[in-house]
Amino acid sequence: MVAKQVPQTSRVETPPFAWVIGLAAWAVPGLGHLLQRRWARSLLLGGSVWAMFLTGLWLGGHLFMLSGAEQGASGFLTLLPMTANVGAGLPYIFCWLTNTGFAEHAQLTTFEYGNTFLLVAGLLNYLAMLDAFDLAAGRKQ
Amino acid sequence: MRHLLWMAAFAGLTAVAFGAVAKGTNRERLLYGLKVFGEFLFIALALGWILYFLPYR
Repeated sequence: MVAKQVPQTSRVETPPFAWVIGLAAWAVPGLGHLLQRRWARSLLLGGSVWAMFLTGLWLGGHLFMLSGAEQGASGFLTLLPMTANVGAGLPYIFCWLTNTGFAEHAQLTTFEYGNTFLLVAGLLNYLAMLDAFDLAAGRKQ
Repeated sequence: MRHLLWMAAFAGLTAVAFGAVAKGTNRERLLYGLKVFGEFLFIALALGWILYFLPYR
């Protein structure tokens, strides 16, 4: 009987600090890299996300949220763009608390551009968050 | 013209973020960012012209 040799893989524990970095990176765009003293990445990623978010609001785009008034399964249609918007972190929560950016301005020609900027700002911040987490966990150099 | 400007701004900001998280040397990441920016613009312009000639409204 031949015993199968299973190759041993080294399991590296994720340091708790990495989770804090990930949370900070989500909450404030650019902060995750800033805390790790990666100035250039912080400036580029944070700057891009902030610029996209603010430009989106300025262009008349609107943020999505579940209001509870949706009928049937239509709430799911709002769930996806809301998930993208939530990626922006505290700027989204600030807008939610102050009820800023949730009104539709469909009469503006730049309305759709604004929506796209806001959606992609959140998605890019998710990307930045994962990058900051990987760097803090030592998975990426 | 304004639409082109916003499209270029969108492509530029996205390309910066993609280039920043990419792997490789600084030069490789810069080239990747420029490539992403160019691809965004090229595909958007190509699609715009294709849709322009479609007879459907």
